[in-house]
Amino acid sequence: MTYFVLFLGVCFVLGSLAVASNPSPYYGVVGLVLASVVGCGWLVSLGVSFVSLVLFMVYLGGMLVVFVYSVSLAADPFPVAWGSWGVVGYGVGFILVLAVGVVVSGVVGDWKVGVISVDSGGMFSVRLDFSGVAMFYSCGAGLFLVAGWGLLLTLFVVLELVRGLSRGAIRAV
Amino acid sequence: MSLLHLGFYSAFTLSCLGLAFHRTHLISALLCLESMMLSMYIALSTWPIENQAAASSLMPILMLAFSACEAGTGLAMLVASTRTHGSDHLHNLNLLQC
Repeated sequence: MTYFVLFLGVCFVLGSLAVASNPSPYYGVVGLVLASVVGCGWLVSLGVSFVSLVLFMVYLGGMLVVFVYSVSLAADPFPVAWGSWGVVGYGVGFILVLAVGVVVSGVVGDWKVGVISVDSGGMFSVRLDFSGVAMFYSCGAGLFLVAGWGLLLTLFVVLELVRGLSRGAIRAV
Repeated sequence: MSLLHLGFYSAFTLSCLGLAFHRTHLISALLCLESMMLSMYIALSTWPIENQAAASSLMPILMLAFSACEAGTGLAMLVASTRTHGSDHLHNLNLLQC
């Protein structure tokens, strides 16, 4: 089970490597979807299933869906995938930077793998993330209102950004 | 360092590097920003587990809400620049030519 969780961690890093090396946006989104699915699995293995499901629904099911159809605006007629030398060069370069950083910082040989409990070793009767996020409705009601206000404000920001014909912020046409 | 920490730390570093280098498309830079937000979400989610502080599990949810705002704004700028310039290639954004 430990090795499976470590494999999920490696896939997370590989997914973000797939975004960072320079493929066409189609393949970058694939890497991001892979990284978020594996990240959800990683959080579930740690026990916090609520924040994992929130990530799944809000990030993968909301934001990434919007990104996927925005990528169609950036359509390449001949998309560059992971077989081309530019992308492979970027990928190898990033892995090299990562490996050198890990070795130079002296972390190699110092690995720790731990066991963490989500219910305080049996002292909590509810799980840690459920009880924490429920504080949005009790002590953190102010934070909740601020977040909701920010989201509402973003709608108007987006409206003003895409407005055109000399009344908008960016568009000149 | 725990291997969990190394995982999201290296994912964040890779996405930062991906954001810093030159790209063809603006949306590739936005995808690197999203990947940074994802690794920060995982980092903020593992902190309340390790410190057994339940109230800190508000932080990843809050961060996700503001990251959704930021993604929406970034995509609105992408749409606006595509409608003005015809594509989202970064070399079209050359108003400050020198």
